[in-house]
Formats: sequence, C-alpha cells, structure tokens
Amino acid sequence: MSIQFKSISELRAMLDEKLISPLELTQESHQLAKKFKDLNCFVTMNEDFSIKKAGAIDLEKENNSFLLGIPLAQKDLFCTEGLRTTCSSKILSNFFPPYTATAVRKLEDAGSITIGKTNMDEFAMGSSNETSFFGNVHNPWRKGYVPGGSSGGSAAAVAAGIVPAATGTDTGGSIRQPAAHCGITGLKPTYGRISRWGMIAFASSLDQAGPLARTAEDCAILLNTMSGHDPKDTTSLNIEVPDFLSKLNEPIKGLKIGLIKEFNLSDLDQEVQARFEESKKVYEKLGAEFVDVSLPNISASVPTYYSIAPAECSSNLSRFDGVRFGHRAQDTDDLNDLYIKSRSEGFGDEVKRRILIGTYALSAGYYDAYYKKAQQVRRLIKNDFDHVFESVDILMTPTSPSTAFEFGSKGTQNPVELYLEDLFTISSNLAGLPAISIPHGQVNSLPVGLQLIGNFLREDQLLNVAHIFQQNTEFHLSKPNMENFK
Amino acid sequence: MDQETVSTICYLARLQIEKNKSKKIKQDLETIIELIGSLQKIDTSNIDPLYNPLEMTALTHDDVEKSDNKKDKFLENSALSNEDYFLVPRVVE
Repeated sequence: MSIQFKSISELRAMLDEKLISPLELTQESHQLAKKFKDLNCFVTMNEDFSIKKAGAIDLEKENNSFLLGIPLAQKDLFCTEGLRTTCSSKILSNFFPPYTATAVRKLEDAGSITIGKTNMDEFAMGSSNETSFFGNVHNPWRKGYVPGGSSGGSAAAVAAGIVPAATGTDTGGSIRQPAAHCGITGLKPTYGRISRWGMIAFASSLDQAGPLARTAEDCAILLNTMSGHDPKDTTSLNIEVPDFLSKLNEPIKGLKIGLIKEFNLSDLDQEVQARFEESKKVYEKLGAEFVDVSLPNISASVPTYYSIAPAECSSNLSRFDGVRFGHRAQDTDDLNDLYIKSRSEGFGDEVKRRILIGTYALSAGYYDAYYKKAQQVRRLIKNDFDHVFESVDILMTPTSPSTAFEFGSKGTQNPVELYLEDLFTISSNLAGLPAISIPHGQVNSLPVGLQLIGNFLREDQLLNVAHIFQQNTEFHLSKPNMENFK
Repeated sequence: MDQETVSTICYLARLQIEKNKSKKIKQDLETIIELIGSLQKIDTSNIDPLYNPLEMTALTHDDVEKSDNKKDKFLENSALSNEDYFLVPRVVE
C-alpha cells in the first residue's frame, strides 16, 4: 500500500494496524523524495540518521504519541544539531548547528522522524521560492511554476505526498501563501504560541513557526506538539496550551464570519472570486453568518510590513560577518574588508535589497519617518482588528490574489509587484493573529486557498472552522498528477 | 535617492554592490522607499508605536549558571579558529 498523499491520521492508523512498520514508512518517504528529486524541494536529506531512528522504534513498547514513527520535513531555517542548516543561502551553505530548534526538538521528542530539510526563499525573504541559493522549487501541480514562498519546499514536499506534513515559518504569509499555491493546509499560529528559539531570525516581531499539512486535523496534531512556553524565547507565551484536536467537530451554527470591505475582491480574477463565493455558500449552508466589516487601515499593511520587516532583518542579519560561522571571503585586506566581502559574496540580491532598505529606514534622520511611523500604523492596524473581533468570530479572505505563476514572471523588473502577493496575509503578522489557509478549489487547474483569520490565541476555533469545511468538501483531497516529475 | 546615499547605506550595511547592478539596486530602493513613504499620509499623532504584537514580553529569568559549554562545536563552525578563539585579520598594528 503506497504511503504517498496519506495524512498523518491515515499513516497513524496504518502503523497501529501493522500494515507498515516505522522503518518501512521512513524508507518509502525517502524513496518518494528520490523519485521526485526534480521538484528540488529538499536542500539536505537526513537519510542515515532517520532510517536508524525509525528502525529503533518499537511500537509495542513505546507510548503511542500521534507522531511516533511519522516522517516529517523541516524548513531549512530551523537549526538541527549536526544536520546542515542553510536557510537556502550561500552564506550558510556549510553550517552545522550545535543545537536543535525547540519546535523541531518537540516534534522529534514526540517520535516523529525528520527525513530532510526543505528548500525555501533565502532567509525566508520571498513569495515564490525563487531567491534560494539552491535553485527554484517546482510546484507539484505544474512544472516550471512557483510553489509560493518562502516555505515553498515544505509546501511542495507535502503536496507531492512525500511527507504527510512539514514545518514552515510565516513572517508575512510564508506558510499560508505556499500552502494555497500547492493545494494544502497551512497554519500561522498566534505570535508567541510556538518558541522561535533556534529559528534563524528574519524579522523577530513577525516571525512565527507553524505546520503545513494535508488537513486542518493534522495541523491540530502538530500544533499540539509544537506549542508551549520555552524559557529560551522570551516572547513565547507562558500560558496553558489547549488540546486543539479535542476542539474539532464543534458545530458552527451562528458563527459570525467577517468580510473585509477594504479588500475589493472585484479587482481579482473572476475565477478567484467565484471560488470565494462558492466557499461562502458552503459556510452559509453550515449555519454561519456573513457580516461586512471595516478595517480602515488594512490597506497600509504592505508598506508597513516593508518598512518593519527589512528594518528587523538588517539588524538580525548583521550577525553574518564571516567570523564565527558561515561563508568567509578569502584574500581580505583587513577586518572591515572581511565583513564586506564575506557578506557581499554570501547574500543574494533580494536579501541585500532588504538589508539596504532596513539600514536606510533605521538610519539617522529617517528613523522617525519610516520605522517609527510604520510601528504607529501597525498599532492602528491592530486596533482595527481588536475592534472587529468584538462583533465577529473569524475573518475570511482569499489567501493570495492569484494562483501560482511561472518562474521569472513576477517581480524581476519591480520587486513591489511580488510584494503585493502578500496583500491578504501580511496584516495578521503585523497584529500577531493566527490565520490558516485551506484549499478551496482550482482556477485554471491550479489550486487556490481560502484564508481564515482568528482572534488572538483562538487557533482552536480557527482549526475547527477549517476542519468543518474539510468534513463537508473534498478540495483538500485533490492530488497533483506527478507524471511530469518522474 | 542619489548614488552617494546608496553608497553610504551600502557601507553602513557592510555590503558591496557590483557595478553592473548598482543602477538597478538604486531604482529598486527608490521604488520601495516610495511604497513605504505612502504611510506619511496616515495621521498617527498621539499613537504609540507597536514594536511587538504581544506587548508583554521580555520576561526575565534567574541568573543561574548552566554547564552546557559547547565551545568546540561553536569554534568548529568558524572558517578560521584556534583551540580558543575565532581568528581574524590583525586589528592592532
């Protein structure tokens, strides 16, 4: 029985019924990764170690956690002890971390098997996975098309059925947008829900780890394990974590879903609009009510983000100086020259662009005009959300304005064109809110995603509303035809 | 944004831009600055900046010594080190 395209819950049942052993499961996952290597969704495989770990699992003796023996892939932004971690950058192309990120360690302690590290936009800066030092990732639904980004490798590995789930990180939409473009489910939790310790930082006040999986139910399983306070991350919340799995299947009759007036959906492709209207009908049938709401400052999200994120990135990426880790340039005159040459050789164009913007926004004379101003607008955006969540339970938008697009077709002349990909996703990062993308049909044979944004710490409600949709539709069961990748 | 400003920012960021890319990078920076400059029209008088969505962070912890010294592992990741230090070009003549 093939394991391809199986969910965590299905694989759990296969393991429990002894239809497959943990070792066979991990071996098959590796075989699929090799078979579909042209997708380029992995940067580094963890074959020897993962097979050894899977082979040592004794299902009779060990406490059956949901994840025991389940193969997973980790975005190559999470540090993994002794396993190369590159952030898809030349500057870290030979970096072997001395420790493992808390989120990954928790998944591994629960018995899951890390089969490899997935490709991504360099330092998570991108919306198409085209900024990776290790090359583009193909969308499993169409060769030569982007999988979205920045967690493009994770999304493609799950969509291709190589692993049932993978980790990702989301700073402005980097879990949800690739999930949408690859036809899978991706959750960005509340800021502070999951420890950021061991994640290579991009924009610290926006970055959040989360799962990409085939179903909302699987996301709940992963979130249960990944969440919780970590003394090593002072921004991780020290509050009790609910059992997200037990909160699924709650009826949604009377649920109030807000539609954001400021997002003028009539500007979008007609087919994208049509899928949105169809999903509204699904929820209406299930007893939900739709309410128009106004978030007057939400249209300022993109410029706000592109001031704050580069500012934080320029500060975070100052640690890459060629001295303690990462690429070091040869033939340098002095220490300053070593810094300049190592960084210039090690970073790609998009990363350099964002460091420069951030340096400018933080420099004397411009700090108040750009950085502080953006943080003030950020508060206005958050206040708008606080206000609407007094009258609605959840907000609903498309995840992305369009479907996946062809390599090189967006942002090469004007980077802002690609920044607008994140129009619907960015505001929840600015406000720290949880949001999920679920597949809800196709446009021109490519998947499109529906985004649900929840109130602070209400992943339970968000996952339930997504799960109920998936119990009543079959969009999440669609699979790409992988013939082109053999 | 003039070429001199671009050069100053590059130096502050310790980055060098190849000559054939400098025109494009200047153009890109101008486009992005124009995008973020659009925030100026929003009235933010008397609004405090929101630096972090939680506003309840920076927890402190007890100052307890821990014994997970991984000096060797950290030094291994450096392109050039001896048994105790990262090595860099001479900084004092």
